[in-house]
Amino acid sequence: MTDVHELALTVNGVPRTLRVPARRLLSDALRHDLGLTGTHVGCEHGVCGACTVLVDGRPVRSCLLFAVSVDGSSVTTVEGCCEPDGSLGPVQQAFWDCHGLQCGFCTPGFVTTITAYLDENPEPTAEEAREAIAGNLCRCTGYQNIVASVLRAAEIRREARV
Amino acid sequence: MSTRTMGEPIARREDPRLLSGQGHYLDDIGHTALAAAFVRSPHAHAQIVDIDVTDALDVDGLMAIYTHDDLPDRLAEPLPLLIPHPSLTHGRTPYALAKDEVNHVGEAIVMVVAADRYLAEDACDRIRVEYEVLPPVVGIAAAREASRLVHEDVPGNIAATMVQENGDAAAALAASPRVLELDLEVERSASTPLEGKGVYARWDPADASLRVYSSTQASTSVRAALAAKLGLPPNRVEVVAPDVGGGFGVKIVHPWPEEVLVSWAAITLSREVKWTEDRREHFVSSAHERSQVHHVRVGFDDDGHLLGLEVSFWHDNGAYTPYGIIVPIVTATQLLGPYKPAAYRVEFQSLYTNTVLVTPYRGAGRPQGCFVMERVMDAIAAELGFDRAEVRERNFIQPDEMPYDHGLIFQDGRPLIYDSGDYPATLRKLKKLVGWDEFGVYREQARAEGRRVGIGIACYVEGTGVGPYEGGWVKVETDGSVVVATGLTTQGQGHQTAFAQVAADILGVQLDRVSVVTGDTRRFGYAVGTFASRALVMSGNAIAAAARKVRDKALRIAGDALEADPRDLEIIDGVVQVRGVPTSAIPLSTVAVLSNPLRYAFDTESARATQFALPADPDKPPVPEGEQPGLEATGYYSPPRATFANGMHAVVVETDPDTAEIRIVRYCVVHDCGTLVNPRIVEGQVHGGVAQGVGGALYERMVYDDDGQLLNASFMDFLMPYSTEVPTIETDHLETPSPLNPLGIKGAGEAGVIPGMAVFASAISDAEGFPITRMPISPSELFHLRRAHEEATNR
Amino acid sequence: MKVTGSAVLHAPRERVWSALQDPAVLVRTIPGCQQLEQVGPDTYRATVLAGVASIKGTYSGDVRLTDQAEPDSFVLHASGAGAPGTVNADVRVTLADADGGATQLDYDADAVVGGVIGGVGQRMIVGVAKKTAGEFFAAVDDVLTGREERILREPSVATGTAPEVFTAPSRQRAPMSAAEMSSAAITGALIALAGVVLGWLITRRAQGRPR
Repeated sequence: MTDVHELALTVNGVPRTLRVPARRLLSDALRHDLGLTGTHVGCEHGVCGACTVLVDGRPVRSCLLFAVSVDGSSVTTVEGCCEPDGSLGPVQQAFWDCHGLQCGFCTPGFVTTITAYLDENPEPTAEEAREAIAGNLCRCTGYQNIVASVLRAAEIRREARV
Repeated sequence: MSTRTMGEPIARREDPRLLSGQGHYLDDIGHTALAAAFVRSPHAHAQIVDIDVTDALDVDGLMAIYTHDDLPDRLAEPLPLLIPHPSLTHGRTPYALAKDEVNHVGEAIVMVVAADRYLAEDACDRIRVEYEVLPPVVGIAAAREASRLVHEDVPGNIAATMVQENGDAAAALAASPRVLELDLEVERSASTPLEGKGVYARWDPADASLRVYSSTQASTSVRAALAAKLGLPPNRVEVVAPDVGGGFGVKIVHPWPEEVLVSWAAITLSREVKWTEDRREHFVSSAHERSQVHHVRVGFDDDGHLLGLEVSFWHDNGAYTPYGIIVPIVTATQLLGPYKPAAYRVEFQSLYTNTVLVTPYRGAGRPQGCFVMERVMDAIAAELGFDRAEVRERNFIQPDEMPYDHGLIFQDGRPLIYDSGDYPATLRKLKKLVGWDEFGVYREQARAEGRRVGIGIACYVEGTGVGPYEGGWVKVETDGSVVVATGLTTQGQGHQTAFAQVAADILGVQLDRVSVVTGDTRRFGYAVGTFASRALVMSGNAIAAAARKVRDKALRIAGDALEADPRDLEIIDGVVQVRGVPTSAIPLSTVAVLSNPLRYAFDTESARATQFALPADPDKPPVPEGEQPGLEATGYYSPPRATFANGMHAVVVETDPDTAEIRIVRYCVVHDCGTLVNPRIVEGQVHGGVAQGVGGALYERMVYDDDGQLLNASFMDFLMPYSTEVPTIETDHLETPSPLNPLGIKGAGEAGVIPGMAVFASAISDAEGFPITRMPISPSELFHLRRAHEEATNR
Repeated sequence: MKVTGSAVLHAPRERVWSALQDPAVLVRTIPGCQQLEQVGPDTYRATVLAGVASIKGTYSGDVRLTDQAEPDSFVLHASGAGAPGTVNADVRVTLADADGGATQLDYDADAVVGGVIGGVGQRMIVGVAKKTAGEFFAAVDDVLTGREERILREPSVATGTAPEVFTAPSRQRAPMSAAEMSSAAITGALIALAGVVLGWLITRRAQGRPR
């Protein structure tokens, strides 16, 4: 590959550089070039949502992006949803409280998606919570406890603000 | 008294790691490995004429290109037929790389190894295979007709024919006052876990040993298969299942071609090699399940009692039969559910088609069997004008008839004998939960408003905890921590928590001092695997057996140290003490130290076990006769038979009079899986199963065209439910413990999915007023069925 | 394994025969060849630098020519070993007249490849062998037809007394007149073949190291 590009971006608050060919997917760059394997690849065609990361705060499917297209951006992965001291962030804590994961493979995509969602809509109803996660596939949980996790995350965030 | 954790909905201990992105799934490890990719057949049935790799040679980073010609010895032979059966007279398994012929789209022909996956795929794209395309056999009808064959040496495309019977069904039917015939069909679906398969192999030439990580449900069996295929001594092969992103049955088959080939490449190239499949590969080269066509004759009396039942069915097993005929055997035996027809005969043919091979998908043939039986019960109720729950209840095996012998052989080769269950009680709970008796009024009200609502009911019995055995190892370390290992695997069932609960309670230690390892042949070498809802039943009891031995030994050693009778001792939060005398105590950590007489101390605590620390009885050896050093033990659980869980589901649907869209109004579950170790984990399993049941009833189907091309080999076109398609699930449960194991556990893993198709068919029939005989059903199919029914009624 | 192939060389058989027997020609046209040294009658030792991905190494090969029937055919026996593996090959080469004063060359090799290189798969080995043989013949053809530019070159001629050692110049194809193709008793295309089987696409394999 002769077309190697130099990229500079912020990942989970840390400035990182990458040297990648144009065709390198963002999911592969995060997982293999930066060693952040928390983002998972379930389908490589943008349907399952397991690869969801936040680019400048907005959820995107990293399997549908080339790494070169996030040059200069700020990317947040599931690892970046933890607290600065490494403990679980509110969404992650909520999933733990509500048994919102089983195999855990789809979970990072839900965590980032819900993190972005609650920033926009901090007090969702149960109906809204269910709609908010309707773009991510889970094969294990039947979604019951994930919906509960959204509501619990809202509650934890509310308690933290108080 | 120690806090009991058994039966408590403890939050899972594996979650923080998985939630913070610190999981280690297959593709998360092996970053320095070479990457493998495959050239797979684009044709459903073809002869391979030539393979030209010339253009691929220019790809940078190319390391190797392998075809069948390169495979040595046993690797060049077909892959193993895992479960032979006398009825499987024409079993066939694939070669690791296709030899002369390919039999389904997706079959692997060439393996490429390169510096990374992108380059490997570049090379694959440039390899040109020349085929002589042959006409394929697609679908059960074509397979039965057999004008074309999948395998030249398999007449009629029939892999197996099997009959099981109890009593004389034909005579019973002939003598029945009423007889009904039904034709019922289930379409093909698949497990489709979010993580596909993957293999990462490392060969160490210094000690001639192989370590393989595989996203598998059966690491011990993979080890055995790899050792056999690669000609290695089994004790030189280790197989580890890392974190696995779901299995649902598709990862039970082994060895996949990729498991043997990636391992062999690692040895041959003396390099680490890794392969993970992409989603399309998973669709066309893993496994599917469910496609069956059934013909039923049922004889009954005017009160709705089953007098005789004859079932014939045809099972599509795809191009090969590595898993034998387990799925149709499960259908044949589990079809009976909670009922006791006086005479039963079931016959099936397992047929080849030029499609992906078929191995269990959660339920493993039970969903089809349940669908068939429950349609029969609804048909009887409709014929007699009886309440559908009432008809079922009249045919239940009663609690006082347990254990109940059906006179058939189950999938474990053992008699089909239900051990316990209270079906009337389960039904009572379900009727109460869903409001069965009050629904008729609601239905009429809705009809008056021009709406169509219906309620469905379905009952199932599930044989869980099949053998032959599982084992567990428990050890108390000298720091008081407890390590537990078992050989079967985990794909999200919370084993690290549930198994820890079992060990912690028996040993009397805090839960957070217990760590559990599953699926790693380095830690436990004898195991079978995770399938058939057996993990907690089997490994739970094996770990319990091991923990009890450890506890007994601890009490003996502590008794010596405290000069007390072991029977007066108890263990609370990791401290052994004389009951009622808390000052006479010794921590388990010290007991562990004392259990291993030392010459050399390695820390202050261990000094207590050295030769000059304690007065020694000069006539007694330091390690007593028949004992071993260390506070550890191994236990096995090997039951004579499976244990039978059961459940009943009810669903309320509303169908749109115009668009025929199907809306789920309520979904209720009552299940009985015996003693619950962690109710939260069990409930989660039920939820997940129900979602797959919804999928199987309304969305999931594999669509093959006449050329054997899989038309919907992606998540865009193979529809699985999102959160908006799965209703709120209302659950209740009862516990009839299993008399077959000390913990009283039955399995729950497949409980949620088994009655899915049956219950939705029941509800939609109720809403529409005509029978539903084929699943899954889409709105457009319902629309056409309505038309057909109206036309038939008008004639 | 068997490797067979053919090539058309644009010169009469006698000149082709001479070129294939000329170490000065061969040392420049065999991909990766660094040195050719006569070590006995009809026996030469070749040193070839070869590699694929990160498997690189220097191979030393002995080549022996037998059954010489000028200008029709000969048999070459090659055996070489290096860190990445070993090769043993017996190659029959036949030359026949073709149209327009050209020569049809056919080769038929029986080779056994061992070691790590032997593990990369038959089709890959055969494919690489044929490809590189094709490059070799094209290079020899360039020499025969004088298509190469004349540039100053380091002389690649015998230095001193026997044993004769021929060293490859730097990568430029050295121009050569027909007259400069003197005969020496080594053999042809099939050092190429031996060298080729060992002589992986060095330049192209320079990249592609795994992470």
